[in-house]
Amino acid sequence: MIEKGKISALQMGIMMYHAIIATGILFIPSTVYEAAKQDIWISPIWACPLGLLSVYIAYKLHKLYPNHTIIQYSEHILGTFLGKVLGLVLLLLLYTSVSVMIWQYGEFVVSEFLPHTPKFVIIGMMVLLCAFAVHGGLEVIGRLAEMVVPVFFLLFLIIIILLLPDIEIKRMLPVMENGMMPSVKGSVALYTWFAQFGIIYFFLPFLTNREKGMKSGMFSVLVVTLTLMFTNIIVILVFGSVTENFNAPLMSATRYISIAEFLSHLEALVMAIWLAGTFIKICVFYYAVVLGTAQWLNLSNYRSLVLPVGFLIGVFAMQAFLNSAEAAEHFRLVSQGLMDTLVYGTMIPMFLFFVAYIRKLRIFKQRGERER
Amino acid sequence: MSQVFNRRKIKFNQKNKQQQDDKLNSNPLYPNLDQNLEVLHSLYKDCSDVVFRSFVIADQTKAQLIYIKGMSNIEEVDSNVLTPLMQKADQNSINPKVLIEQRLSVAEVTRIESFDACIDQLSIGNPILLLEGDQQGFALGLSKWEKRAVEEPTGELVVRGPREGFIESAEVNTSLLRRKIKSPQLKMKTLKVGRYTQTTIMITYIEDLSDETLIEEISQRIKRIDIDGILESGYIEELIQDNSYSPFPQVLVTERPDTAVSNLLEGRVVIIVDGTPFVLVAPTTFYSLFQSGEDYYHHFMIATATRWLRFLFLFISLLLPSLYIAIITYHQEMVPTTLLLTMADSREAVPFPALVEALIMEITFEGLREAGLRLPKQVGAAVSIVGALVIGQAAVDAGLVSDHMVMVVALTGIASFTIPRYNIAIPFRMLRFPIMLLAGTFGLVGIMMGLLAILTHMSTLRSFGVPYLSPMAPMKGRDMKDTLMRAPLWKLNTRPHLTGEYNKYRQDSDQKPSPDKGSEGE
Repeated sequence: MIEKGKISALQMGIMMYHAIIATGILFIPSTVYEAAKQDIWISPIWACPLGLLSVYIAYKLHKLYPNHTIIQYSEHILGTFLGKVLGLVLLLLLYTSVSVMIWQYGEFVVSEFLPHTPKFVIIGMMVLLCAFAVHGGLEVIGRLAEMVVPVFFLLFLIIIILLLPDIEIKRMLPVMENGMMPSVKGSVALYTWFAQFGIIYFFLPFLTNREKGMKSGMFSVLVVTLTLMFTNIIVILVFGSVTENFNAPLMSATRYISIAEFLSHLEALVMAIWLAGTFIKICVFYYAVVLGTAQWLNLSNYRSLVLPVGFLIGVFAMQAFLNSAEAAEHFRLVSQGLMDTLVYGTMIPMFLFFVAYIRKLRIFKQRGERER
Repeated sequence: MSQVFNRRKIKFNQKNKQQQDDKLNSNPLYPNLDQNLEVLHSLYKDCSDVVFRSFVIADQTKAQLIYIKGMSNIEEVDSNVLTPLMQKADQNSINPKVLIEQRLSVAEVTRIESFDACIDQLSIGNPILLLEGDQQGFALGLSKWEKRAVEEPTGELVVRGPREGFIESAEVNTSLLRRKIKSPQLKMKTLKVGRYTQTTIMITYIEDLSDETLIEEISQRIKRIDIDGILESGYIEELIQDNSYSPFPQVLVTERPDTAVSNLLEGRVVIIVDGTPFVLVAPTTFYSLFQSGEDYYHHFMIATATRWLRFLFLFISLLLPSLYIAIITYHQEMVPTTLLLTMADSREAVPFPALVEALIMEITFEGLREAGLRLPKQVGAAVSIVGALVIGQAAVDAGLVSDHMVMVVALTGIASFTIPRYNIAIPFRMLRFPIMLLAGTFGLVGIMMGLLAILTHMSTLRSFGVPYLSPMAPMKGRDMKDTLMRAPLWKLNTRPHLTGEYNKYRQDSDQKPSPDKGSEGE
């Protein structure tokens, strides 16, 4: 197999947790707020089934082809040519997806922390760092995710506790003022994040305990849902109706923390969490892209691809959007349902699964006829 | 006779045991004493420390005693070898071998059959006795050379715990281990490494606790070493570690027998190198480098708190100057206003940016520390006075650095001393500088990037197959109770998981002491 390392199901779950939550924790509240208003904390519940579905389909496909990733079994299912085409589409979607993530990272760092630093330096540094980790292989990414997760939870908890003095329950009320619809509409924007769970089809073949793959994936979805609910609750309790005005409300909320005039301006903490999480997130997708490309090209080793692919996604990330207005338009369309992640995370696997299922039925039928 | 020597040299390169056995007997002694002496004389030509003493056993048989000055116990040779053997025999014709058995009052006598064995025995200080007409010689276990007494190790001090430390003699070191582990399952494999030094290396492990493949791997790696000489265990460490380009130590180094024993009991392998008090323990993980033997002698709460303190100070020693730089340069809003005012006040006179200021001070401090280590003791006091001036009020008054920078440097210095092992403190001292540069250019983002890069590197490391960051990553819940915390002894029922699942339980479960349990018999 192309990847010699193995990760545990738990490591995969943690990797996926970071991959979803790292950007979600910052951008989700304001994105969802537009539709859901004070019910933003309910929206993750409606979006959660999509994550479960993505994991389920990826796992079902994995059961059919236990040693292959999606790039490989799409050729089995659709035939070599169509399979390659579908693989290419999927890879291109992943390339753009990871580029947009890196762009988001670069944009955020430049706008929030280092306004005078050129963006390509920030992006280049991150891509190099991720290349280092991806070159180490899946094992390394798994271990990194495991090392980061306790710090993540600790800092998240600290922030929530420190925000407690600023909350006001009445900002959350009335719950479901206009019925369920606003929160359901808000959850559409969340599909972008939850559909990304589908990417576990790249990791399932490398698990040490494969039978736990689904359980751990599902568990990861649920923890993501809970974390998002907590984030949204705390954001809405702190900001209420002004949530919309912030790009990253949780970050802005921490600016309000001021305890004993000493603990103030803790956005560095959020930045630390977010940076570590984003690093894992980019690593996960970067690795998927590299592995997928290597498998698509039938290479025997993916390590030689790490730097070229890194260069590509770095350049893509630089060129992703002409300006922030264009980016805003892009993200508005995404939040309305035009999402690439939904295509590669859920739809393509679902399509493959149905084709595989129908072919399997036919094979059974033929076999049955022959036996008769 | 260079032929003999050449063949010896070839021997060391042989990996195959069978061949090695053949070679051992390849240079057999001659039955003729003069012939033997001729060979040995030519081998030890120009070796003025080798003494050849010819005498006659019981007025009948010619014999030769060979030893190296200063390595053998001459008094015992005189009284227990020469005196009894040179006495006249009671009977007229007597077999000299029988005579030796009857009269030689030496505990350890080995028969040797080849020149190779002769050289080996002489080199470790055993006198050799060769007889006329005998194809076998005798090696007398009367070696005695100057060695240091067992003292308290200076590098790893403890408040509570045994005060003995390893010394330069491998024999004494193994005896220190054997005195703690009485079970015959404590095994010691001896290897010789070094073309010229022929240094004894002992691979020590407890049978049934250590993975056999691990022992095999370690001995393979040591056997692969082909080098002129091994002067310290650092040579071995550098030649057997997994990743040579990592600043992090992948082998634990200790001077303390109790630490070595506790590692043996956890299924690790201890490598003793003759000529140095530092033994190697493999495999090791990042967290075990932060444990001191003392952690297990104190109450578990204290030990846990101490461990946390160490980790805290680890971060301080790595990050404090960088955080100072980043906050002063990029994130002034994080500093409380009153503090910010005093900081601005004291920095007003300083002409450098924070990064340069910090680099100057940190490099000065590292230089001072290095100077303090190497200087003769008599000059030490002078250094500490100068040091106090350089990183002290004088530096502030001179307008070179700010008050706060002095605090930061001093605290960083103290922090790096809280790490119980010198070799793990070094990489963090080193990595401090690149992170400072990152902090100076990218602020907190740079620091985080640096940290992530270090973490990534550490995730790629393995020590003899064991992931360096285990049991945190990959997570092994069972082993976590002796990592960040030190669980009470009655909870530590399982051995740390290394490579294989080996002899999982190390003690009976349910040993929590309680008065309700009563005495046995009841």
